[in-house]
Amino acid sequence: MKKGQSATNRSTGNGRPRSSEAATASLVDVLNLVRLGHAGTRQELERVGEYGRAIVADRLATLKDLGLVDENATGVATGGRAPRLVQFMKDRARLVSVTLDQSAVGVGLADLSGKLLSEHHEMIDISDQSATVDRICALINWLLTRQLDAPDLWGISISVPGPVLANPGTSFLLKTPDFLPNWDSSGLVETLTDRFQTLVWIHSNVETMTMGELHGGAGIGLQSMLFVKVGQRIGAGLVSDGHPYHGAAGAVGLIGQLPVTYRDSTGTLDAMAGAEMIRARGLEAAKSGGSPHLDDTLARGGDLTAIDVCQAAQMGDGACVEILMQSGRLIGGVVATLANMLNPQLIVLAGSIAQTNDILLASIRETVYGASHPLVTRDLRILRSQMSNSAALLGAASIAAEALFDPIFLKEWIGLGTPTRNPDFVQSLAALGSSSLQSGETPPPPPKISRTTT
Amino acid sequence: MTIIGLGPHGERASPPERVTLLPQDIAAARAKGLRIALVMHTLESDWSRHLVQGVVGMMGECGAIVIDVVDCNFSPEAQIAALRRLCDEKPDAIVSLPVDNTTVAQDHIAVSNAGIKLVLIDNVPTGMLPGKDYAALVSVDNYGLGKIAAELLSDHLPANASTGLLGYDADFFAVNEREIAFSQSMERNRPDVTVRTARFSSLDDAGEQTRRMLADYPDVAGLFVVWDTPCIDVIRMVSELKLTLPITTVDLGQEVTENLAKGGAVVGIAGQRPFQQGEAIAKTTITALLGRPCPDWVALPGLAVTRSNVIECYQSVWRKHAPREILVGLDVLRPG
Repeated sequence: MKKGQSATNRSTGNGRPRSSEAATASLVDVLNLVRLGHAGTRQELERVGEYGRAIVADRLATLKDLGLVDENATGVATGGRAPRLVQFMKDRARLVSVTLDQSAVGVGLADLSGKLLSEHHEMIDISDQSATVDRICALINWLLTRQLDAPDLWGISISVPGPVLANPGTSFLLKTPDFLPNWDSSGLVETLTDRFQTLVWIHSNVETMTMGELHGGAGIGLQSMLFVKVGQRIGAGLVSDGHPYHGAAGAVGLIGQLPVTYRDSTGTLDAMAGAEMIRARGLEAAKSGGSPHLDDTLARGGDLTAIDVCQAAQMGDGACVEILMQSGRLIGGVVATLANMLNPQLIVLAGSIAQTNDILLASIRETVYGASHPLVTRDLRILRSQMSNSAALLGAASIAAEALFDPIFLKEWIGLGTPTRNPDFVQSLAALGSSSLQSGETPPPPPKISRTTT
Repeated sequence: MTIIGLGPHGERASPPERVTLLPQDIAAARAKGLRIALVMHTLESDWSRHLVQGVVGMMGECGAIVIDVVDCNFSPEAQIAALRRLCDEKPDAIVSLPVDNTTVAQDHIAVSNAGIKLVLIDNVPTGMLPGKDYAALVSVDNYGLGKIAAELLSDHLPANASTGLLGYDADFFAVNEREIAFSQSMERNRPDVTVRTARFSSLDDAGEQTRRMLADYPDVAGLFVVWDTPCIDVIRMVSELKLTLPITTVDLGQEVTENLAKGGAVVGIAGQRPFQQGEAIAKTTITALLGRPCPDWVALPGLAVTRSNVIECYQSVWRKHAPREILVGLDVLRPG
């Protein structure tokens, strides 16, 4: 289903909208004015939305019937009767966000404002696609059992460790896009849509984490921010004019593909400075006796991870400090180029490698400050993210909320009261063979999970 | 043992060695004349008492005065009142175990906003971030504890059985992790076993939830209770129903440890090290107060305790010799 398709089909020949379409448009507008905090009383809706009193009263009555706003609270009186506050019912339904990393999975439950209410993270090996999809389903089930009233589930938003080349005109996904080798045949989107009877979105974790940092982390209120994630892959996200930059096809910030040179070797930034290089050089140091700390870790556990190298560096192991400083210098060189080009207010470093030690941050800072124009670095802050993978969950939830209430998509479901009754979605479910749903029938609510469960 | 769980934001664990205090650190802390307050969810468990001992003892070595130890009795209202009162006392740091994930969040954030270092134990209210809203979280590897409990119970379950999981009906990081890990471990290692979950809303409710579960699912052949205090009521209920079910739980509390030693219903315990955790909490707090980089999440591994190692684990956790009842229960001493 494409954005704009329905709106175009509903236009009349003379270019003027039919009255029902105008009513839907004002209904959508009123809801978004309230939801985004642009108007909080009837008077503000009349002023900001430029609607008459009768229109506002009618639209609010409809939205109250749909359970999307209420007027139960009163504001502060300014010389007369205290005004009734119009509030968005963010608890009308829930959103689930999921973050997949190379070695971890996280799930979170959010309200319709995108605020995280609960989250859980655990280690996972995502090379087994089937087991990963099953685990995501089990964790979502667990999250829903923790809800006393089992509210409707309006969407699942997934953050994945790779660029997602999806059609920018798509309101929700019906098929798993290609984000890592062979994952397009994993059935991730199809399984979640079928199992939870709800809308699914997928975005890259650089995009979701940038969004999360902007809404809940160091980037709150900033107009420009560069977000750099350092893990097995190294990627960047950009905030410009207070909004995430998406590029032409969503493939923004693939800086891990840039060639860099260290001593006599040239390779991509991913290969020369990412987690795999850190692990490999740590293994060399352990076996050559260069790092007694890693030698001990290897002897006890039989293997080493990049995180072991980071923690050893943090404890003062000389060889590990040098490995991370090398990584930091290479990343810092690329980030300095971006900083000189974009002049951000803030650079945030995130990812498991950046967050388990201070050496990488120090090395990147030193390189960026040394290689940048003084005007660029005068007020520039370079910080380590405090959000870890919560940034991805929060960002994914924010993206889901924006997608649900995007005016074009909202017009297609608001009259039905819930996005899961959107005709295109209902038909998609039927096409998936997930149920005996027929177009026009009321789809079943999300699975109600008993308090005693398996 | 390695840490297998992740932190509340997906952080990798840092070992307690990351907050080791050198003699010069202790001297610097002593010179500051620090004042610390401790806000606990309860002081009515053996785990809490040992943890407080660890914190207070290590604070003493650093010359820090513990000005108050508050028992919130699992009440968010009591915790909010305590935090507000303590903020007025202007201590250098508050160490707190948040009793839930939502209602107490703002008052914990207010502690940090007042310029008081906040170190959390076992739970982080959703939305609070390390470095910004609190200095660090110190906990055991709760995910690891759930896995240990599942493995200890698994040996006692017949093929194709059901097992009961008695969880806590509050959104709380530590018990959530235990619950999820127990279920996942059973699913992976005993796919023939079905896990039945029920949750108690208060300690008094644990026995009743057990009775209901066993009535609904008579095929339940074993139980896991997410910590030892409610487990005591669960053991009592199972006994009243004249059933013989193997039980595992978390924490080496006196009663469940005696039950394990005597060959009772408790067949295994996933043990925490509250005294060592208390020391790690104190060291983390001092590290933060000295302005040194502090890990986001300091985690300690758990212990797998069975009848065969219960005495040594008891000594390690309780820092004293095992009582006569436990030694008699294991035939190390003769009764009488």
